[in-house]
Amino acid sequence: MTTTMRQTTLETLDLGTVRDIFANGAMPVTPDAAVDAVFGPTGERGALVISGANGIVGSGKAMQLGSRLQPYGVPIVALDLPSAPDGISKHYSGLVRAFGRDGADGIMQNIVRISYDGATLPTELDRYNPRFLLEAIPEILEIKKGHYDLFRGRYPEIEIRSVTSGFPSEQLGVGVAHPAFPHEINKIYEIVEQETSDVTRMLWALGLQPMRVSDNWSFVLDVLFCGVTLAGLRYHDASNMPFWKIDKHVRRLIGANPFRAHDAIGAKGADFLTWSCLHHLAENYGEVFRPTPMLDERKDTGLNWYPPNHFRPMVDWSLEAAANDELRTWLYGPMFQMTTLMLQEQRAHLAMMNLIGEQCAQFRSGTLAMMRAAGAEAVIATVERYHALHPDAAGAAWHPDTLAAIESAEWQQLYVNAEHDGTVGVVTIGREAYNHDVDAELNRAIDWLKAAAIERVILTGDFHLAGQLVGADTSNFFPALEDTDAGFAVSNDWSKTARRLNDEFVVSVGFINGKRCLGGMLELMSHCHYVVAVDDATLGFPEVTLPVVPGMEGCHWPFRRTDGAGHAKLMQMLLSGRFVGGEKAAGWLVDAVGIMDECLPLVWALATDGDHGIVRRPLEEGAVSGVPTEVPGLATGDPALEAARKAIVDCVQGSCAATLAEAVDVQSRHSADFMVTDACRRGRVGGEAKRTLDV
Amino acid sequence: MLSEARIPYGTWGSSYFPAWQTSALAEVNIGQFAGEAMGRILGLRGVRKSELEYLVIGSTVPYHWKFWTAPLLAGLIDQRIPGYHVEQACATGLQAILQANNEVNNGTFDVVGVLTFDRTSDSPVGVFPERRSYQRTVPIADVWDNFGFDPVTGQAMLNTGGNAARKYRLDRREVDDLTFYRYQQYFEAKESGFLDRVLVPLDILNVSGKKLGTIDSDKGVRMLTREGLAAQRELDTCVTSGTQTHAADGMATLLVAHKDRVADLSPRPEIDIKIVAKTEVRVNPAMMPEAPAMAVKKLLQRTGLTMADMKVVKDHNPFAVNDAIFAKVFDYDWREMNKTGCSLVWGHPQGPTLTRIVIEALEEAVDLGGGYVLVFGCAAGDVGIAAILQVEG
Repeated sequence: MTTTMRQTTLETLDLGTVRDIFANGAMPVTPDAAVDAVFGPTGERGALVISGANGIVGSGKAMQLGSRLQPYGVPIVALDLPSAPDGISKHYSGLVRAFGRDGADGIMQNIVRISYDGATLPTELDRYNPRFLLEAIPEILEIKKGHYDLFRGRYPEIEIRSVTSGFPSEQLGVGVAHPAFPHEINKIYEIVEQETSDVTRMLWALGLQPMRVSDNWSFVLDVLFCGVTLAGLRYHDASNMPFWKIDKHVRRLIGANPFRAHDAIGAKGADFLTWSCLHHLAENYGEVFRPTPMLDERKDTGLNWYPPNHFRPMVDWSLEAAANDELRTWLYGPMFQMTTLMLQEQRAHLAMMNLIGEQCAQFRSGTLAMMRAAGAEAVIATVERYHALHPDAAGAAWHPDTLAAIESAEWQQLYVNAEHDGTVGVVTIGREAYNHDVDAELNRAIDWLKAAAIERVILTGDFHLAGQLVGADTSNFFPALEDTDAGFAVSNDWSKTARRLNDEFVVSVGFINGKRCLGGMLELMSHCHYVVAVDDATLGFPEVTLPVVPGMEGCHWPFRRTDGAGHAKLMQMLLSGRFVGGEKAAGWLVDAVGIMDECLPLVWALATDGDHGIVRRPLEEGAVSGVPTEVPGLATGDPALEAARKAIVDCVQGSCAATLAEAVDVQSRHSADFMVTDACRRGRVGGEAKRTLDV
Repeated sequence: MLSEARIPYGTWGSSYFPAWQTSALAEVNIGQFAGEAMGRILGLRGVRKSELEYLVIGSTVPYHWKFWTAPLLAGLIDQRIPGYHVEQACATGLQAILQANNEVNNGTFDVVGVLTFDRTSDSPVGVFPERRSYQRTVPIADVWDNFGFDPVTGQAMLNTGGNAARKYRLDRREVDDLTFYRYQQYFEAKESGFLDRVLVPLDILNVSGKKLGTIDSDKGVRMLTREGLAAQRELDTCVTSGTQTHAADGMATLLVAHKDRVADLSPRPEIDIKIVAKTEVRVNPAMMPEAPAMAVKKLLQRTGLTMADMKVVKDHNPFAVNDAIFAKVFDYDWREMNKTGCSLVWGHPQGPTLTRIVIEALEEAVDLGGGYVLVFGCAAGDVGIAAILQVEG
């Protein structure tokens, strides 16, 4: 019997809990079985047909699914009109970067391009035995429905999913798999179907991120992305502020660049999609979604939102405090209101609804995280102020009652969940980057387990929302660039959270289950008594390249658990920023590596004190001696990089020379002091802060 | 016919007018600057640009892509409205307002934007293939060569000041006194904060989005001394570098709207501002500084009003001589006019000069509780233009 802090997102896909995965020693679905279920067994494989395959969505998905299905011998049929410009070949260079030339050639050779006239299906299709149609044709309902009839008439058993941005499954008559830009990379699919299908299970088994959403007009991503675009448009109407400048403020306050994104995607198509979503939303939910006349116009003209190069913006727009407050109301007000509508309709698991904003709509924090930080009263006040500015929006689609649950675990654990069976606890991280929210939620998860007297814990990615753990969310460092107290606090607080994994459990096991574990996330994992990694994971401390000084005890904690040879490797990692493969990290950075099927039972054995054969590496609590002061052969002429290396060496030396009890403050001080230096401020973190905050 | 057109109070604004070659405006496409600045000013005034139905622009110095006129500038604020370009040398800033007034009174549009601007810095050089001429190809620098030579009279602009001063037997000492007083008026207005209500500071970006400069002062204007003015070399009778204006760069904008739309646009709709009358005259060759006085004389005759009826009197005075002549013609105390500054002091970017004068005059009239406002000025070709506006409420 597994108790969960809140429902796991895997359960929304009928895939059980994360504890089940460890306890069973196996993933709930394997890729082989999942591919067999959708395309038939080896030797009788059918094909994936992507219609509209030369479009932005179709071609991107041809790459993403093509690269994953090619090893299983599933042909990809790229179907489009003869007049459609080639959208597939342009992805070749990206494939080469990701898979090498041979890999890219193999993926491309597996894609069969077929033209059709839109009215009849070519007989050539029969040769490939279409089993699954991913429809990516224009957003016109009757055309889509005719298209499905065409396929069903010829292939009655075919599975069909639409990539539609807006039409409900009920209107289409097929399931929905709504992907997110950039389509060749973004793993998220919003799934609308009655029950979890083989297609959805296959997407998950292939490492993609299917997310069940409700069957309402426009799905979560489009409500958020079209919503923030509309918010910007309304502010433009109210203030005359040009779109490029609104984008900067949206980036500062929320994180997205909606107008730049439209231009980047292709204004003509993107404007139509945004208009179409908002138009249908407005018809169903009222004025808060009504497209502005400007969007009506752009939908027809396809004019870019940003000015052309010869009219790069000339007159800047500053904002006084009162105007800034009004801008915040224009932006946050509709976003909060729209989110309450989605809550009211229970459009998705809250963690997914929140994450879709971050992973797909470029939000720095999802809307639920933003609303949670503001508090229910402030959210309601913001929406009411918005209604004062835009009275038409007040009429419908505003559900303040949904905020009554804001203190529940569903709201409070958006990124970190916990499960236990009375003996073993599992803490799952569902956000790729560590930030203040993750930190707070991790503390609450640990508290929850401690309250249940759990003394054995596994810390892991959640097998769903976080495909990798990439380190700290550097936007949380922005205040530290100006204030050493802020830098000290972020380092010290996060380190103390990490120490709980070592101090408060009899056994803690960190499991690196994704393709990367870097920076702060690797430091976090390192605090576990045991660390296990899948062998194809990449581990590293990229801080020196940002540059920052690792602040979650990466400069001494791993040194306390290894010997001189390990020290040299750690220094090499810290000062070069180079990554190591999981298979090379065993014995000094992690305790064991293996393929997933080996790791899962091993992690469970470690957590349950079963038969694992691994000796816990001791943790030196006194000073650590013999730590190297340099790594030969790394010197460059880059003063900022050399300054960062010196700061890291100083931090390693200082914190290793201290006792374990003292080291946390020593490391935090070094980390904080470096963040206010020119080397840091002029680096990537400083540059990002400037781009974000200096509007 | 009763006028239906109004100038909604508080919907206007002007950039500062930095002297030529002293600011970032010397480096920009002034049309683009004017368009973007108009959007900014209207935003600060709480006017949605979507209220605009038509745009009358005014400028005198060619700028890049001027062929596209008003639609181009409207496009720079993402407002796809039609419009046209008005040009009448230094009268452009008033003529554009009058044309917008006509558009509303004609019933063609209810809300018309007026946008005037010019960059005298680095004015373009026109190359005119004229095979009939001796030179075959004639290049002229738009601002300086035109100021230096009236093709009709053969005289420079500066000499019209001297000609008029001699005709009216002006005393150099009085002209210097008048000039010194004008500087005092400007700096007092600046000190009082009056100009902050009219002029809008604007940050200029370079093509990389970095700050190129801030236009937050009438750069180049500094207080003169009476002694310093007296010591200046006379370039022509009563004309010194101190008693004439200087070239500048800038823009100004206001709205003209149907009276029924004022409540939607103005923060103080109870203030009613309308144009009562206007006229123009042309005087004898090379006598430009007397033209404004002649225009006012004609206007008063036509309206039956007198100078005593005027609450605010303000003019474009490229030469101090203009004001001295005006005072003589009307036996009027020149201390009673241009109380918040004038183009003699803050410079002359040509197109927007009279627009800023109108804006300042209206603000002053509102401060005084309303009344008739007389605005006038001269223009190339010995032209004088004058208009009377009425502020009530």
